[in-house]
Amino acid sequence: MGKGSSDQVLELYSNLLLEIWEVVSALIGETVLTLLFHLAMKKIEGKYPFLTSINVSEDGISLDGVKERGRSLPPVEIHRGFQGFITHLFDLFTTLSEGVISRELFPKVIPKVKEAERMISNK
Amino acid sequence: MKLIFKNLNVLRSTINDISASSDLKEIVESTGTNLSALFDFSSFGVFWKDGHLLHLYQEESCPLSFTQEVVKHTAKVFSALMGETLDVERVNIQVEKRKLNPGQIRMDPKATLKSHLTLPLTLEKEILGCISINSEQPNAFDAQDLQFFSVIGYQMAATIEHLQRLSSIKNLAIYDTLTGLYNRRYFEERFGTEVQQSFTNKTPLSLILIDIDHFKKVNDTFGHPEGDKILRGVASLLKNSVRKKDTVARYGGEEFILILPEAGVEAASMIAERIRKLVESTRFDVGNAHLNATISLGISSFPSHRARSKDELVKMADLALYRAKREGRNRVSLYDPAQG
Repeated sequence: MGKGSSDQVLELYSNLLLEIWEVVSALIGETVLTLLFHLAMKKIEGKYPFLTSINVSEDGISLDGVKERGRSLPPVEIHRGFQGFITHLFDLFTTLSEGVISRELFPKVIPKVKEAERMISNK
Repeated sequence: MKLIFKNLNVLRSTINDISASSDLKEIVESTGTNLSALFDFSSFGVFWKDGHLLHLYQEESCPLSFTQEVVKHTAKVFSALMGETLDVERVNIQVEKRKLNPGQIRMDPKATLKSHLTLPLTLEKEILGCISINSEQPNAFDAQDLQFFSVIGYQMAATIEHLQRLSSIKNLAIYDTLTGLYNRRYFEERFGTEVQQSFTNKTPLSLILIDIDHFKKVNDTFGHPEGDKILRGVASLLKNSVRKKDTVARYGGEEFILILPEAGVEAASMIAERIRKLVESTRFDVGNAHLNATISLGISSFPSHRARSKDELVKMADLALYRAKREGRNRVSLYDPAQG
């Protein structure tokens, strides 16, 4: 398998965020989740501005903007940005509900992050 | 399956109770009362950003150390949500102790906070505060508890929003938007009640009708926006010059009206004269200039002027005002029976 392209990494993380949205919105609702996404974005926007194009509202999540903006970035930069964003999001989930949200998410998130890591490191 | 149905029914009735609440206190009360049928917990907290107030509904045997941990934890979560540190010392705590679960044994005096669920209370993207349920048991809550708790949080926020809208609709209906005083509609309603009480109990009631002198000139010279400034300025002086039980309303245009319950001719005259002097000595900023405005005031009073209805009392005040104008403005006139 060749080194993953920016598009592939973006696609993988976009799918992951969609999954996170689906699982967590069912637990805490879209309004609170939108707020948490915005808080996590705020934490990381200085370092990875492309992530501010994640569009979240009570109607759902759209990642078209972030895919478009991230296309010109190296895959490793995209990977680190999303990793940082997801870490902040998980910190918030843990602050609010300790392990309740994380327990639901880990089985879905860990394999995808590992897949992204493989994608980045493969030559 | 039976358990889920039971819980859904409890959740439904909790939501009904919250939505039927008529103020914040009632929202917190009804939530706290219903929660114990849904969750095993030792403490339910509602933290309000305004005033840093934390309402805690706790198991009656809840030790102080547990409460302190809940407070500390609430401050920590709220800080994370707001992105700024909230010092525990700044949290105002109100604790209500209850027997949350009749079957529950007393809490260990050394019990510590082992698990919690906390959710922000949001209204139109603004964080109002947060709610939490807390337990001394590890892993006390699961995903279904979180789902139920989030529904309760939503209902609390939705009810708060509904109450705020009701209150703003009510405000629109009774306040004059330009001056912030009561509007004429509210005056009519209030005056009706006061007259009825006064006529029945034979207690004095006075009315002061006020008109800003030469107001048309101000509008013509400086324009309506500047004229509006004078109206707001006079309104503010009036509001600050009356007693708590008095009602100040904008009667229309540049006219204001004051209802003074339990005030006879003498008291009403004193209040009127005080207001007249206050307005006369106030300098209003109009455009780039300072302006001294004056007002004329007409007083009618029950029972002194022998009015037989509320309309008659208004008419008497109007006649008295007319006399104040005719006699040179910037003065207080009492109704004179010889006029009518």
